[in-house]
Amino acid sequence: MSEVRFRNPGWAGNTGEFDLSEADVRGTEYVGERMLDGGHPSVAPSLPYMFVRKEPDAPLFEGPYRERFDKIRSRYPTARAALLPALNLAQELRGHISPETMDEVAGLLGLSDAYVRGVATFYTMYNKRPVGRFLIQVCTNISCNLCGADDVLAAFLEHTGTELGETSSDGNFTVVEAECLAACGFPTCVQINSRYFEDVSVDDVPAVLDRLKREVNKGF
Amino acid sequence: MADNGRKAETVTLTIDGQEVTVPRGTSLLHAAESMGTEVPHYCYHPGLSAPAQCRICLVEVEGAPKLQPSCVTMAADGQVVHTDSTAAKRMRQGVLEFYLVNHPLDCPICDMSGECKLQDYVFDEGREQGRGREPKRIFGRDDFGGDVLYYGDRCVMCTRCVRFMDEVARDSRLTVVERGSRAVIDTFFDRGLEGAAFAGNVVDICPVGALVSKDFLHKARAWDLDHTPSICPNCSHGCNIELHTRDNLVQRLKPRENQEVNGHWMCDYGRANYEWMNRPGRLEAPSVGRGSDRRAADWREALELLFGRLSAAEGDVALVGSAGCSNEALAALAALGDEMPGRVAQSVFRSPRAPDEVPLPGFPLLVRRRDLVPNADGAALLGFERAGSDDGEGGLEEVAEYGGVVIVLGDELADQGEDFGANNSLFVYLGTFDSAAAANADFVLPITTFAEEEGSFVNAQGRVQRFQQGLRPPDSARPAWLVLGALVAALRGEETPGSAPEAFARLAAAHPAFEGLTWEAVGDRGAALVAEAVHG
Repeated sequence: MSEVRFRNPGWAGNTGEFDLSEADVRGTEYVGERMLDGGHPSVAPSLPYMFVRKEPDAPLFEGPYRERFDKIRSRYPTARAALLPALNLAQELRGHISPETMDEVAGLLGLSDAYVRGVATFYTMYNKRPVGRFLIQVCTNISCNLCGADDVLAAFLEHTGTELGETSSDGNFTVVEAECLAACGFPTCVQINSRYFEDVSVDDVPAVLDRLKREVNKGF
Repeated sequence: MADNGRKAETVTLTIDGQEVTVPRGTSLLHAAESMGTEVPHYCYHPGLSAPAQCRICLVEVEGAPKLQPSCVTMAADGQVVHTDSTAAKRMRQGVLEFYLVNHPLDCPICDMSGECKLQDYVFDEGREQGRGREPKRIFGRDDFGGDVLYYGDRCVMCTRCVRFMDEVARDSRLTVVERGSRAVIDTFFDRGLEGAAFAGNVVDICPVGALVSKDFLHKARAWDLDHTPSICPNCSHGCNIELHTRDNLVQRLKPRENQEVNGHWMCDYGRANYEWMNRPGRLEAPSVGRGSDRRAADWREALELLFGRLSAAEGDVALVGSAGCSNEALAALAALGDEMPGRVAQSVFRSPRAPDEVPLPGFPLLVRRRDLVPNADGAALLGFERAGSDDGEGGLEEVAEYGGVVIVLGDELADQGEDFGANNSLFVYLGTFDSAAAANADFVLPITTFAEEEGSFVNAQGRVQRFQQGLRPPDSARPAWLVLGALVAALRGEETPGSAPEAFARLAAAHPAFEGLTWEAVGDRGAALVAEAVHG
């Protein structure tokens, strides 16, 4: 077997040819700062909502979040239709969807609490429990699995010192398994918060975690 | 659907080689049902919307590329449908195999066993042996509150219960939580079904043993129960029900479909109140004589003595009817009053009342009425006056002190004191239980409850409805219409009515409100009284 030509670029689109940072390519807004106004409505649903900083006790919704919630409510014909983006917003703010959050969102939208619970639990991208600053989702579906995803997962667990689904003692990391992340061309794919790390091998794991820790130190 | 002159009102199609004509807009499932073919189904329920998600009612429709869900596919002219073709059967077998992947097969301890659709369909068409080797996922059970217990492992995810709460109860407390093989029905965490007035119906519509009644849990096997068509005696709406009995005890009440009255449903209050039908310590034999002179007698002696006392009775008559008694009994009591030497000074009935009505939002015909007795409207039609306050308190103060003849029908004395009827010249009590107030009675005659006799009630809609006998009466208790009917007949010199239908025929002849009604016409679906008679 020949040597692997391309090392882990760390984010999608980096071919290794240019010395560009992720921020250079995707814009500082996307990679770093939280856009409290939610951005333009046409792209708002695709913007990242899992940020490093979480405020589990933040009220639903105040200030710019209230504006965004009102905007969401106005864009959908029924309260049921607005439920998913409303839960997105709540998770962006609080980091996870607790029973209390479900109840509050139900109250805000005038839906039944049980219905909101059903929706929130149906979708795996809503965290039903608190997660660390970084939610590390390692794809173990078929393509990644063939390329050693199980070992990558084990490496993440080892280097973060956590059990699957648990949060590390410093509150930084939660490692979970994910089903196909639609990056089968670049196994193993790891989604960390809203960012993709592709072609991740066991050896890359310490560097990825170091990078994340630096972000924490920067004060996010 | 008036004649719009465009399309025929009916369509003709072929199901399993047999031609059948059904109204336009009939689903294939109902079309097949009309010719006696049951297409298996879980998620479809006639009282709910049809999401076509259980995939077991798929049938082959010639010309359609794939099997069609018969619960939502409408019958069309010239359609050729096969419910029993190889394709349909193989599909059902496959679907059933999936349903059994995680099903615990705990039929021996499951309350639904014997009336379970999963059991039936697998027995009919399932594979002889499962092929699964993987361990089954296990949920255990979940208390939903109220009378409802949930066994997630048995659930087939038809969501009938979720849709009932959404569409009929309009109180969306149930939902599907999680997804895939982890999916379960649940409430919002600790908030259960407590206080939901109609939640018990989810147990009835559950096609499998996932939702069971806590009250009925492990109490009886379905095949040991006798089903008797009856009328719910717990409010004046008179929901059509079945008494499910075993060992001469009522084990549970289940609603019986009647779109004019209660649809497929009944309320939890009515459903839960059946223990009184099984209450022991009943009056079992007639007794005669007041106070220390009280002695047991057989019916012949008691009635002969009573006949003598009635024919020679002095003073006016006070009749206390019971809105828990049948029309036949009340009519016989009214007739007895008319045959007495004195005039009828008063004839009253009482009714315990709830503060409010409780309607079922998704089926507005069904309302838990304020009168918590089945025949308040029948009593009123038969000439009895409502006594007591608006909330049903009191009402017998005058009768208690009455000096003439007092005849009390039904259990109206339970709340009365020992001095009730101390001043009467003659006091006859026909009841099911002894009470302190019956101490002064000259005659205590044991009668049957509605569950132990045949008869009819008039509900709050002005509808006459028949109920049948589900229990054996204790010892020598007799239906009140027979006891009173025998006395009336003796006073008039005619034949005693030999059966409830005969008693009803005499009632219909004597009371204009019931004019023209026959026992057969009332049938098991009931019949509406003429409106003017009800309100006039």
